[in-house]
Amino acid sequence: MDLSDRSSSLTTAPIGEESPLEVHDLTVAYRKKPVLWGVDLRAPAGKLIGILGPNGAGKSTLIKACMGLLPASAGWVKVFGKPINQSLLRVGYVPQRESVDWDFPVNVMDVVLMGRYGKLGLFRRPTAADRSCARDCLERVKMLPFADRQISNLSGGQQQRVFLARALAQESDLYFMDEPFAGVDAATETAIIELLHELRHQGKTLFVVHHDLPTARNYFDWLLLLNMRVVAFGPTEHVFTYDLLQKTYGGRLTILSEVAEAVRVKEA
Amino acid sequence: MIPLTSSSARQFLGIGGLFVGLNSLTTTLCAARIGDITETVWQAQALRFLTLADPSVRFAVLGTVLLGIVCGLLGGFLVVRRMSLVGDALSHAVLPGVALGFLWNMEKDPVAIFIGATVAGLLGTGLVHLITRTTRLKEDAALGMILAGFFGAGLCLMSMFQRLPTGNKTGIDKFLFGQASAIGAEDIRLMTVVTVLVLGLICVGYKEFLLVSFDPGFSKVCALPTRWLQHGLMLLLTFSVVIALQAVGAVLVSAMLITPAATAYLLTDRMHRMLIYGTLIGMLSGVTGAFLSFLGTHLPTGPFMVLSASGFFVVAFFFAPNRGVIPRWWMARSQRIRIVRENTLKAVYQILENEEFRRESVSLRELAERRRLTFDEVFREVRSLISVNFATAVDDSVALTPSGWQRAASIVRNHRLWELYLTHAVQMAPDHVHDDAEKIEHVLGEDAVRQLERRLEFADRDPHGRPIPAVQAIHGHPNGSREKRVTGYGKSS
Amino acid sequence: MSFIPHFSVHQVFIAPWTTDISSYGWIMLMTFLVGAACGLVGNYLILRRMALMGDAISHSVLPGIVVAFLVTGSRGTVPMFAGAVAAAVLTTVLIEVIHRHSVIKQDAAIGIAFSSLFALGVILIAVFADTVDLDQDCVLNGELPLIAVSPPMTLAGMTLGPPAVVRMGCVLFFSCGLILLFYKELLLSSFDPALASAMGLRSGWIHQLLMIWLSITVVSAFEAVGSILVIAMLILPGATAALISDRLVVRLGWSLVHAALSAVLGLHLSIGLDCSPSGAAVVAGSFLFGVAWVFGPQDGLVSRWWSRKEGRTETLV
Repeated sequence: MDLSDRSSSLTTAPIGEESPLEVHDLTVAYRKKPVLWGVDLRAPAGKLIGILGPNGAGKSTLIKACMGLLPASAGWVKVFGKPINQSLLRVGYVPQRESVDWDFPVNVMDVVLMGRYGKLGLFRRPTAADRSCARDCLERVKMLPFADRQISNLSGGQQQRVFLARALAQESDLYFMDEPFAGVDAATETAIIELLHELRHQGKTLFVVHHDLPTARNYFDWLLLLNMRVVAFGPTEHVFTYDLLQKTYGGRLTILSEVAEAVRVKEA
Repeated sequence: MIPLTSSSARQFLGIGGLFVGLNSLTTTLCAARIGDITETVWQAQALRFLTLADPSVRFAVLGTVLLGIVCGLLGGFLVVRRMSLVGDALSHAVLPGVALGFLWNMEKDPVAIFIGATVAGLLGTGLVHLITRTTRLKEDAALGMILAGFFGAGLCLMSMFQRLPTGNKTGIDKFLFGQASAIGAEDIRLMTVVTVLVLGLICVGYKEFLLVSFDPGFSKVCALPTRWLQHGLMLLLTFSVVIALQAVGAVLVSAMLITPAATAYLLTDRMHRMLIYGTLIGMLSGVTGAFLSFLGTHLPTGPFMVLSASGFFVVAFFFAPNRGVIPRWWMARSQRIRIVRENTLKAVYQILENEEFRRESVSLRELAERRRLTFDEVFREVRSLISVNFATAVDDSVALTPSGWQRAASIVRNHRLWELYLTHAVQMAPDHVHDDAEKIEHVLGEDAVRQLERRLEFADRDPHGRPIPAVQAIHGHPNGSREKRVTGYGKSS
Repeated sequence: MSFIPHFSVHQVFIAPWTTDISSYGWIMLMTFLVGAACGLVGNYLILRRMALMGDAISHSVLPGIVVAFLVTGSRGTVPMFAGAVAAAVLTTVLIEVIHRHSVIKQDAAIGIAFSSLFALGVILIAVFADTVDLDQDCVLNGELPLIAVSPPMTLAGMTLGPPAVVRMGCVLFFSCGLILLFYKELLLSSFDPALASAMGLRSGWIHQLLMIWLSITVVSAFEAVGSILVIAMLILPGATAALISDRLVVRLGWSLVHAALSAVLGLHLSIGLDCSPSGAAVVAGSFLFGVAWVFGPQDGLVSRWWSRKEGRTETLV
């Protein structure tokens, strides 16, 4: 394995305090083909962290492997200093919108209540307290009027907000969000990013998979540039540079021009 | 929900028991198996069935009710998870297990068959899983292969039985197409155990099974034992296939899993209701099928159950409120009619507006020119307006009624507000906004219109400089002079 | 009489090729023809991820055959084919209608459509049991052993063989011709329907034609192996071939090899165990699939295990 590559990826949070997410030498392979190679990172607490990278860079794979949804071929993941299966209840998840069947016979309230299932434990019914918590979460994403709507009768942005409300209902300290801005309208995007900032202010750590470069700089405190390996991980102002972005996106011309544009805007 | 269904089943049987006491005529037939009686007319058979007179009828009814409950309940999970054909594969894959269960002591021992079939079913689904995971074959091919391969093995074993001297008396062939009348007390005991187990587990673990079916990834993050829940559901499914086997037959069990649940899916959009409806439909189709197969001699039960379930499905497919084909067609049709009416009203309004509302009526010819339609088509449109009391016609001149005016002004208002909104907020060129407004004007609700007004600061001119009819004019109490001038109706009043 | 009959090498392995060739030969040939014709169309089903449409069609041709029989009163080739094709087209239309006009997904739509039609077919057979020359057992099991004893068909003075064998041979010939003529169209529309439509191929028509081809194959195989084992014959050769090669031509070839091998092995198995020859052919075919699964060149369990071992040492280095 290339050592210089390894050292550049070792940009980490200050050592000492308990990190919300610590990943060491994580390797994930589908069949025989590796998708992630030797990922090392130590995330700081209370930051909104964007995960950037080209298609197929393993962004979703990384967060799924962190949550134990995909088996790792090598390496380990610690969440709040413990193995993932011991600290799952402190983890919230917003999956990609396409990952579920929106014709499923449940309404908005049912979906948000699912966020409470982890805390409830096995075989216990949701209580009135859970329901009122779910209602609060719906209110925070401005979806309360739709609580009785079947989920297929929602727009893309509304569906995304429902998923967000479900993650809020988990009341976690570390969140993983897989492309929460995919296919949503501008108004929803603003509303979501405001909510994410609010969560960050409450001291929660958020990992958000994102693929729009120009907005990434304004949205996130920290960035993780990923292309099968960690290209860079650090505060946005250090990481959002032409060199590192070029290294992440390789020779993809269209994206390069986008990068150039984004950097130009930053430097102006 | 679930206690309700089982208690209704108990009630049902209670009524049956009452009839037994009353009816002494048929008690002589008690001991006979239904399949053995060949010389009966269908009326007598129907009477025997409806009165639940002899034990085999009671067993058959109870058996089909139980299997309807179990299949309807578990089928619901199968259908929403898009795994319907797993049920098909499973029901065929249990056959070699049934045959081996027979081999255990060469007679129909329900427990041995149950164990054999469950093992075979689990082995089959396990192999499907393994094939899709380790090869490039997709799930459909793996399912088809396991289905047919296991079934082939089962047929081999069964043909080996039939050589044996006891082979033909075992009734193993009933497992292919199902014979409800072959259900015995032992079978009923087993079915009851399984039904109680399934009902209990689904009641207790409803929330877990729901989440695992909807979003397995999220359920893992919620620290639910996702894999165990999925395996558990598969195990229950195998149980339900096995107990349904004797009444429905291996070939058609999957239909009893899929069709009632799919019918319920058409009727509701909440999971718990879907499970309840599925259970009820499953029970109903079970009993109907058993009844129909009793009417003739040597009629298999399974196909009749499946056809009754399909009958329910067809009815729901066409008539289900909101989701059925016919209600949806009707809604689309009324929508279409409404849009045509509104367009006619708008045309009348615009003709009058061009002449600054000096007249109150337009001629059919003018209207035809404006709408670019033939005289006949316009005539039909006007007749449709008259039928809902939006217009009156004298000879060939059409005048709008007060309610017609109200609607016409509101539709013009919607159109012009939307055009204005597009040019202001979205900054489209004024000559591009008309087509969009043509569509949106019919669907803008009251709230949306109020919101538009506020955003446009109660503007009174559209991008083409024409006046936007005011709210007062729409609501039919014109009190200001400007509104009178604008609407024309105010002028006449 | 015991469950597993006494084993004799002569009776199981030698007699079928020598003294009893006149009857067992026809059974073997018929099994091969069924496996080959079904396997060819099955390759396309697997490629198009429509293996379960094969399941559906093989069930739903039953009412078509029964109705055709009730209407014409004959068990001739033409009415049977017509009935089967009509039923197949009806099935595809039903599936399409159900899943396009409701929330029901395609898998459930397939399940509902074919099970209803199959149930209808079984009921028709049961109700008209006196007039219909089909029984439920034949529907499931087929009548492979009876083929050899049926009177041979003669054409222009030449004795050709049992009519079912001749018919199946014609279907295989027709399938080969279809593949030779439309190889690239079928390949393109299976691989990339969107591109095929863009190039002027009507994907919808190709789908419907494939279904008709499938139904003709299925109905001629029906008599020999029964409706459910047809599914095995449709999927097993193609699935086995898919584990051996990536290229469609090679796969078609291997599926013919699979058909031949499972015919021979199946016959010996059925004599050895004295069981249903069609069931035995399927068991043999499944066994061959198992062999390909374990020892296949790319996906095989052995080669996977081997490459994982290699891969592990590589990462260590």
